[in-house]
Amino acid sequence: MTRRMMVLTLAALAAVAAASGAGAQAPIESELNLITPVSKFIHDAALKAFAEYAKEKWNVAVKVNAIPAGTPIAYGRIVEWKGKPEVDIFWGGESALFEKLADQKLLQKVEISRDAWESVPASIGKPKPIPLKDKEGYWIGTALEPYGLVYHPKKIQRLGIAEPREWDDLLNPKLRGEVAQCAPTRSSSSNATYEVILSMYGEDKGWEWLKKLAANTGHFTARSRDVPTVVAKGEYTAGFAVPSYMAFEEKLAGFDLKFVAPKNAFVTPEPMAILAGARNPKAARAFIEFLLTERGQKVFMERGLFPITPRYKVQGPLGSTAEMAVEFTGGVRSYFDREVSNVYDDAGAARRSEALKTKFRSDIEAVWKKP
Amino acid sequence: MTDGALAAAPARRALATALPALGVALIWAFLALFLVYPLLRVFYDAFSDEAGRLTLANFTAFAGDAFYRRSLWNSLVLGAGTVAATSVLGFAIALLLVRYDFPGRGLFGYLTLIPIISPPLVGVLGFTFIMGKAGTVNILLEDWFGLAKPINFVYGVHGVLLVETLHLFPMITLNVVDALSKIDPSLEEAAESVGARGWRKLRTITLPLTTPGYVAGALLVFIWTFSDFATPLVLGVHDLLASQAYLNIVQFVDRRLFRMGLVISALMVALAVVFLVAARRYVAIKDYSSLSYSRVARRRLGPLGATAAVTFLSAVMAFSFIPYLGVALASVGKGWSMTPFPVRYTWLFFERVIVETPKYIVNSLLYSVLAVVICIVVGVPIAWILARTRLPGRDTLDGLNTLILAVPGTAIGIAYIRAFHVELPWLGVPLTSLWIILPIVLAVRRLPYTVRGSYASLLLVHRSMEEAAASVGATGVRSFRDVTLPLIWRGVLVGSLFSFMTSLQEASAVLFLSLGGWETIPVGIFAFYIAGSANEAAALGVILIAVATVSVLAINRIAGTRMGGMFG
Repeated sequence: MTRRMMVLTLAALAAVAAASGAGAQAPIESELNLITPVSKFIHDAALKAFAEYAKEKWNVAVKVNAIPAGTPIAYGRIVEWKGKPEVDIFWGGESALFEKLADQKLLQKVEISRDAWESVPASIGKPKPIPLKDKEGYWIGTALEPYGLVYHPKKIQRLGIAEPREWDDLLNPKLRGEVAQCAPTRSSSSNATYEVILSMYGEDKGWEWLKKLAANTGHFTARSRDVPTVVAKGEYTAGFAVPSYMAFEEKLAGFDLKFVAPKNAFVTPEPMAILAGARNPKAARAFIEFLLTERGQKVFMERGLFPITPRYKVQGPLGSTAEMAVEFTGGVRSYFDREVSNVYDDAGAARRSEALKTKFRSDIEAVWKKP
Repeated sequence: MTDGALAAAPARRALATALPALGVALIWAFLALFLVYPLLRVFYDAFSDEAGRLTLANFTAFAGDAFYRRSLWNSLVLGAGTVAATSVLGFAIALLLVRYDFPGRGLFGYLTLIPIISPPLVGVLGFTFIMGKAGTVNILLEDWFGLAKPINFVYGVHGVLLVETLHLFPMITLNVVDALSKIDPSLEEAAESVGARGWRKLRTITLPLTTPGYVAGALLVFIWTFSDFATPLVLGVHDLLASQAYLNIVQFVDRRLFRMGLVISALMVALAVVFLVAARRYVAIKDYSSLSYSRVARRRLGPLGATAAVTFLSAVMAFSFIPYLGVALASVGKGWSMTPFPVRYTWLFFERVIVETPKYIVNSLLYSVLAVVICIVVGVPIAWILARTRLPGRDTLDGLNTLILAVPGTAIGIAYIRAFHVELPWLGVPLTSLWIILPIVLAVRRLPYTVRGSYASLLLVHRSMEEAAASVGATGVRSFRDVTLPLIWRGVLVGSLFSFMTSLQEASAVLFLSLGGWETIPVGIFAFYIAGSANEAAALGVILIAVATVSVLAINRIAGTRMGGMFG
């Protein structure tokens, strides 16, 4: 850059600063709050990266904050707020819930640049497509996240069995009492994976399968996040329905555990929406646009998640966390350069949701005995 | 004397009578608004449907569900089991500490206090690190003795019983020590002179005299166990009432389940009231009258007895220190799995919770200090009313104060969500959106300690001193400041410190009310645990334990054996 150009740039910057100082509205509000089931590991990093970006781009120090809450709690609180929300953004959980919120007029449309909106494909997966953004424009996906299974290699070795690759491997009698899972009544990842099993095997055989899994289950955790924790520590050998990034977080923390996404494992787009009546709508829109840029997607790609757009792939220099993530998730760099098989059907899942939970309560939770 | 002064005198007198009346009214208003109203609201919720119509349907639904019935039964059995186990342990330790002399007695006296300062969640986490299926003990057994399959020490109801017992036995010990120290030695001498020794003396004299203190302790142990949801959740036990209340309440989506959570909360409050009333019928729980502590003659134990006593106490202490060892190791151990002790160590977790996010510590201290201020402003006058006046409603005031001890924090938290999510008239936001709700709920929960501490020392100040002050012309306020306050500050301080320490550790009520940015240390411990970072949770736990230890030692220094009176 020549000296002249630098001077010009500085002058331009000064002009912009003066303009914004001289009563023109600030580009974004100086606060951003979200409620999310996406764990701290991801949401902290995303908020921090956005705060830095906002400081650089608009010289606005954004005060960011997140209320961590499981999907049902987050949803419930948004409903309780009745259009006067304490936060600006709802992030994560199943997309069906976002549509339920939109129906109750508790969301506003995501008004971001056309390019950013178009960077996310409408859907992914066969035979059932998984929507990655809302047709009406009320929510948009942020990252792709498979729900798979985790295991402790050393414990697998001690039990003398092969490392699990498919869902059925969890039914091995040698794993009796060694599986950890979260109840589908409490976790959206568990709920979605129960739904996958039922879609794959059909209602009757599916429940037979899930009961067999319960017989091998030694621990129903209070939250889905606890599943990789108890496996990483070695308390249990394998975990069911675990989001990839939660397992990768344990890996980064120094634990020895492995992740695999078996066939038909559900992939969630981690939807994001701006709440109706949000106090900081401009900051919220800027946050979403930021997450869809390469810099924003990197936050996810370095933490065991996959890009929501075919524009980027998980890669980095040798030994980087991005490469470590690729190895950890079985060599996957993007879900757009492969066949994604999916049997999970949004509408079907929404129809079955109540019955699934009721049946789980009566047929599994009420009769389950610790092996 | 000028005309102005003459005219001012009656005005001042009118003010002197009006001000106390106003104060009393304010205290009643505080209790009505922040204690009675929320609890009534939970009952209203339990007896009504979504449309607000009164109905019994919620309770019939509860009674018709086998899983809930089993949960209720399990909770009662677990509570009773914990009371039995803590009673045996607590009583034996109290007898040893008060009646016998042996090497290290003073040290054991201090150590007995340590288990109760274990913050919620942290104790059970620490326990699983050492006693879990991949805990230190099992790994050692597997590596050294070729154990094929790890022994399940903790996952299940037996684990909950174990953790609660080792956590709560000091409640019994403290209360019994307090009661034992108050027994007039002449009673026991009289018993001995007519030939009652050993067991017979214990059964006919000692036990009956310690019953009030013991029942108070046992009631607290029962209610604590009954309403604790953190321990069973970590240990994978869901068929307990408290677990169901928690799990159902956090399930906003399913309104039917949500209401069931409210029903269970109401049930917990009702049960607490029933137990409290039953206990009070059986014994006068708060026996403040005999505050004279007798000097107890301790019997020196022979070498054999001393060895047995020291071995027993050391074993109990070793067991109850397991959680601390586990937490301490987890707070500095990196990637600790399948080895007896961590292989790699780091300060990273402490850095994260102190340097990167100091809000936990800052919020905890701020809210707890504010809570104690409220406790003193409201609690000391309550103690004054109870000890010094014959105002109508004193019994109710006393009853409310005791009720607070019995109502589970879970129920209070839930009650507050329901009661205070209405927009305040001039602010336009509900109280639940303002952080001040946290110090308020903490103050209400911990008020009894301040009241009790102040009450006990007020009884010790003889009225004649205040009368003497009045006779030389000191006004009520002045005699309070110059005479009463210097005499009672110690009791107020002990009560307040106790309120402070227990506020720092409060999780159950606060958990339901905390919004982003308001997190206290216990909420942070929960958040980290839920986010899968047990190490950061452990680091915060270590900090909380350190603060609490200092407070307890301070209380013990100031209060001595009187500490037990706090819990009754």
